[in-house]
Amino acid sequence: MRVPYSWLQEMVEVPSDPAELVAEFIRTGTEVESVDTVGESFDHVVTAQVVSKEPHPDSDHMWVTKVDVGGFNVGEDGEPEPLQIVCGAQNFNEGDHIVTAMIGAELPGGVKIKKSKLRGVVSCGMNCSARELGLGGDHSGIMILPPDAPVGVPFAQYQGTSETVLDCEITPNRPDCLSMVGMAREVGAIYDRDYHVDYPAIASETGRPTADELSVVIDGEGLCSRYVARIVRNVKVGPSPDWMVRRLTALGIRPHNNIVDITNYVMMLTGQPLHAFDLSTFAERDGHRSVVVRAAREGERFQTLDGVERTLAEGMGLITDGERPVALAGVMGGMDSEIEDDTVDVMVESACFDAGRTSHTSRDLSLISDASIRFERQVDETGCVDVANITCALIEQLAGGEVAPGYVDVYPAPAHIEAIALRMGRVHDICGAPIDEGFVERALTRLGCTVERGAEEGVLLVTPPSFRPDLPREIDLIEEVLRLWGMGRVEATIPAARNHIGGLTRDQRATREIGRIMRACGLNETTTYSFAAPGDLERVGMSTEGRGVPVVLMNPLVAEQTEMRRSLLPGLLQSVAYNEAHGTANVQLYEIGTLFHGRENASAPKERESLAGVLSGAMGDITWIQKYRPLRFFDGKGVVEELLSQLRVEKVRFRPAEGEGYAFLQPGRGAEVLSGGTVLGWVGEIHPDTREAFDIDLPVVAFELNLEALLRAARPHGAYRDFSSFPPVEHDMAIVVDESVTCEDLERRIRSAGGKLLAGVRLFDVYRDEERVGAGKKSMAFALTYRAADHTLTSEEVEKAHSRLVAKVCKATGGEIRS
Amino acid sequence: MSLIDDLDELEARARGMIEGADGTDALERARVALLGRKGEITSVMHMMGKVAPEERPVLGKRANELRRLAESMIERRGKDLRREALSSLMATEAVDVTLPGARPKLGHQHLISQIIEEIEDVFCGIGYTVESGPQVETSWCNFTALNAPMDHPSRSARDSFYIVDNAPGSVDHPEEHAHGESDVLLRTQTSGVQVRTMLANKPPIYMIAPGTVYRPDTADACHLPQFNQVEGLVVDRGITFGDLKGTLDYFVKCMFGEERKTRYRPHFFPFTEPSCEVDVSCGVCHGEGCAFCKHSGWIEILGCGMVDPNVLVNCGIDPDEYSGFAFGAGVERIAALRYDLPDLRSLMTGDMRFLEQF
Repeated sequence: MRVPYSWLQEMVEVPSDPAELVAEFIRTGTEVESVDTVGESFDHVVTAQVVSKEPHPDSDHMWVTKVDVGGFNVGEDGEPEPLQIVCGAQNFNEGDHIVTAMIGAELPGGVKIKKSKLRGVVSCGMNCSARELGLGGDHSGIMILPPDAPVGVPFAQYQGTSETVLDCEITPNRPDCLSMVGMAREVGAIYDRDYHVDYPAIASETGRPTADELSVVIDGEGLCSRYVARIVRNVKVGPSPDWMVRRLTALGIRPHNNIVDITNYVMMLTGQPLHAFDLSTFAERDGHRSVVVRAAREGERFQTLDGVERTLAEGMGLITDGERPVALAGVMGGMDSEIEDDTVDVMVESACFDAGRTSHTSRDLSLISDASIRFERQVDETGCVDVANITCALIEQLAGGEVAPGYVDVYPAPAHIEAIALRMGRVHDICGAPIDEGFVERALTRLGCTVERGAEEGVLLVTPPSFRPDLPREIDLIEEVLRLWGMGRVEATIPAARNHIGGLTRDQRATREIGRIMRACGLNETTTYSFAAPGDLERVGMSTEGRGVPVVLMNPLVAEQTEMRRSLLPGLLQSVAYNEAHGTANVQLYEIGTLFHGRENASAPKERESLAGVLSGAMGDITWIQKYRPLRFFDGKGVVEELLSQLRVEKVRFRPAEGEGYAFLQPGRGAEVLSGGTVLGWVGEIHPDTREAFDIDLPVVAFELNLEALLRAARPHGAYRDFSSFPPVEHDMAIVVDESVTCEDLERRIRSAGGKLLAGVRLFDVYRDEERVGAGKKSMAFALTYRAADHTLTSEEVEKAHSRLVAKVCKATGGEIRS
Repeated sequence: MSLIDDLDELEARARGMIEGADGTDALERARVALLGRKGEITSVMHMMGKVAPEERPVLGKRANELRRLAESMIERRGKDLRREALSSLMATEAVDVTLPGARPKLGHQHLISQIIEEIEDVFCGIGYTVESGPQVETSWCNFTALNAPMDHPSRSARDSFYIVDNAPGSVDHPEEHAHGESDVLLRTQTSGVQVRTMLANKPPIYMIAPGTVYRPDTADACHLPQFNQVEGLVVDRGITFGDLKGTLDYFVKCMFGEERKTRYRPHFFPFTEPSCEVDVSCGVCHGEGCAFCKHSGWIEILGCGMVDPNVLVNCGIDPDEYSGFAFGAGVERIAALRYDLPDLRSLMTGDMRFLEQF
C-alpha cells in the first residue's frame, strides 16, 4: 500500500518528518519498504529573497545579487549566509521573493548549475525563470513569488509538485490498511488522536430509479455476500482533474479517464474495490437490464479488460448481464463492458466477493489486481452502500453525471458481530507486561472497536468493527493491545521450566560422534539435494529392490528433481564429478541425509537416515615431506572399519558384495558390511561403467551405511580391561595358502589356534610370486604377539604354543609355512 | 727398570690411548687393550702372584689405582665422545623450521550443520530437547493444525511441493484439495514438528526442531528449493511474551555476540498470536546504517510469537491452562549473514574448495 504523505496529513495529524512516522509504523507492525519522492523533485532549487542588487562592474545588463536562501547556505560561523549570484534579468528588485537554483541543481531542461565566473565575478547559482523550471509561461524575467512566500524552503515543497510516499507492506490479516482511511485510523491509534475524512455526498438524484431499470441476482452459494449497484446517467467521460491524477500517480495507479479514476480513487480511499460498467453494453429486455452473479463453467472463455482471452475453470465467480459475462468477479472487468470515451450511462458495482474464491481465481489465472488483493483479504461488506454513494457523488461532481434515485442492494445474510470478553488478567498473562485497562480501552477504541465495561471486574466487552475480520477472538485483541503498547517495552524474562529436562538423546549424540569420526578420517561433510531424477538409480546401476517405490513430486521445478532420492550415492557421485570438472582431483566427502522409500499402499513414504562417503584421488597432493597413495578400496574400508571400531560395533564382518544388487561396484572390489547377521551397508570401488555415466575419470571408493542400523549396533563402552605387565614375545609367520583362503578365515583360525597366550595378530605382508610362492597362491605374513597375563613366558612355552598354532592353521587351511 | 717404573710408563700410555681415542670404536679398542682379558693392565694384575711378597702391597696398590684410573678415564672419555657424537648428529639434523609440517588431514563440518549444532547447544544449555519429524509431511500437520486457512496461498502448488499420494484418503486427517495439491507434501516449514511434539507429549514442552524444508523456488544466488530451518516451541504454564523475548535475546547474543541488540516488530503469522519478527542490530555498522543492512541498522533473523490458542486446541492442549511461544529461523540466512555468502548454491555442490573453508 502506497501512502501519499500529504493525503494522510489531510486526515490525521502526522509528524512533519516522515521518518518519525516510519519508526512508529515499524514499532507497531506496519513494514515500510521505502520512502519515495514522486513528481519533479527540483533538487537544490529553493525559495529565496534578493538581499542586494548591484550593477556588474564589467557589464551593462548584468547584476551582482546577494540572495538569502535561509539555512541552505551557511558561513564559517554556521550562520545562514546569502549567496552571490550574477543575474541577467531586469524584472526584479531588492526584497523580491524568487526561486534560486544552487550549485548541484539540475533543471528540467538538463542544465546543471555549477560555480562559475561571469566576466570575472563569482556566481554561486542561478535565479530561475518559470520556463527554466519547466513550468512554462513567461520568460521575460525571473520568477517572482508572492511577498508572503517562505524563504529557504525546497521549491518542490513550496510548489507542491513533489509528494512523499510511504510504501507500506500490509500483512494479509489487515485488509483495513489497504485504504487511506484505514491508514489514517492506524495512525490515530498509534498516536492516540482523531482522524477525519470528508466524504462527498450526492447532491441530487434524477431520472428513473436504479431498482426500476436494474435487477441483481446472486445465483449460487459462497460467491458474493453482498452486491450493491447504482446507476449514474449522462456522464461526460474525460480526463480527471489534476489533483486526482497526482494522487493516483502517487499511489502507483495509472490514470485512465474520470470514471475509472474515480472508482480507483474511492477504492484507495475506502478499501472497497469498485467497478464501473458501461450500462449500454448490458443486454436489455423491455427496458430492463439485469446483473447475475454466478459460477463459471469449466472451459468458459472470457476476455478481461487487459485484452487477454482467458479460459475459466469451474467455480470461478462471474458477473454476467444474464446472457454474457461482463466481469470476473472480484478480479477484473471485461473488455466489452469497459468505460469508453463515448460511454453515457454507468453502473457502479460495490460488492463483496468471497475471499477464498477470489484468491483461487486470481492464483489459477495468474491475474492479480488491486481488487483481487483486497477481496482475498476480505472487504467490509457493511460499507458497500456508503462506498457506492461516495463513488456516485464523485461521478456527479467530476463527470457531470446524473445519479439515479436509490440503489439495488442484495444482501442475503447481513453480518452480525458478537462482543468479545477481554479479560485483563489474560492480557497480563500473555504479554507479561503491566498494561493498564485505560490503555486497552483507548487503543481498541481508536482501532474502531466498541468497548464497554463488563459486569465482571477486569473484563471488557469489545465489539470489533466490521472492517477487522482478523479480530474474532480475545487473543486477537490482545495482539492489538500489545503491538500498540509496544513489544519493545515488555521486560525480557527466562521461563522457569519446572519439571522439564532437556539435552540430546543417545542417538543424537552418537550421530554427532559419527560425524566427528568421519572428519577425523579426513572426510568433509557435504549436503546434496534430497531430490532425484527418475533414472538416477539406473544411471548408477543400483537395483531398486528394497528401496521402495519412488516418491514422486506432483509439481517439480526441474526435470532432474522430480522424485525424492533413494540413495545418497548419486548425489555424492555428482559432487565428485563436479569437483573433478573444477580441477579438484582429491575428493573426500561424507553426507548424513534422509532417503525416501515410497510405499505402494501408503500416502507417506518410509524415511530413513543414511550415512555415505566417497573418496577419490588421494588424501592430499604430494608435499616435500608427504606422499599420498591413490585412494582405493582399502582406504574406504579403513574408514568404515575405524568408524565401527570407534562405535564399538561387535562381530563386524565384510562379505564380498556380489550379484545384481551390487552391479554399481567393481567386481571383486566391493563388500557388504555386517554386524553379526545384520547388513549395515556396503563399501566398494565404483564400477568404471558407473563412473563413466557420471563423467568421473579417477577411481572412486564409496560406502553407504544405514544410520539407524548403525546406531542400533553401536555399543556403550564396556568395563576397563586390565593389560599384562609381563613382556611380550614377537613371532613372525609367513604362510602360503590358496588364493581362495580369505584373510578373515585365516585370521580367525590363527586366533582360535593361538589360545590364551596369543595376544595380537597383525597381517604385515601379502606376497604373490608364481615361482617363489606358486601359481594361485599367496603368502600372508603375520606378526604374532605372545604374552601371558600372570608371568614372563619362557621360550619353551612360546615355542610350544607357536608350533601348535602353525600346525593347526596349516592343517585347517591347507597352507604351508614359508621359510 | 723397576716394575713401578713400568707401571708409570703404562699409565702414560693408557692416558695417551684413552685421550687419543677419536671415537667410541677407538675407545673400545683402547679399553680392550688395557682392561680386556688380555689387556695390559689386566696382565699386570695377573702378574701379581709372581711378584716378590714384600713388593706386593706397593705394586698391588699402584696396579689397582691404575685400573681405576683407566676405568674412570674411559668412562669420562666415553661420555665426552657420545656427547660430541650427539652434537654432530644434531647439527646434521637441524632443519629449516619454516618448512611446512606434515599435517594430518582432518575433514571439515558443513557450515550449515555447524550452525545447527551451535543452535542445538545453545538451547540444550537452557534445558530444551531436540526433536525431529518426517520431511514428507501431511497437509494437516504442515498447515491445518497450524491454523493456516484452507485457501491460504502458501498451500498452493506454487508455494509447496506436493507428493503423488499412493493411497488417497489414508492419512490421519484427509482434506479437500485444490488442483495440484494432495494430503502429502514436502514440508515447507519445520513447524509440523511442533504439532507432532505436542500430540505426543504433555507440557511442559521446551524443544527445538532443526530440519530440511522445501519450497518451489528455483535455485539462484539467494534461493534454494531445499533449505534448513530451526523451529522452537515452548508450552508450559504461565509462559508470557516476556519469556519469548528473554529466550530469543539470549539466543541472538549467543549466536551473534553479546553486544548485539534485538528489535521485536509486530507481524502476522497464522500459527502465532501475537506474532512478531525479530531483528538483530547490524554487525557491520552497529546500527548506524550501511549497505549490508540496507541502511536500516537492523537485520531480520527470525519470526516468532505466542502459540495461537487454535494450534494448542488442535494439538489437544488446553489454552486456558497452558500458553507458549514458538519461533523459526532460517539456517542458510544465518550462514549468509555470518559469512557474507554470495551464492547459496555453493552450499549444495560439494565443492571441496568451499567445504574446506569452514
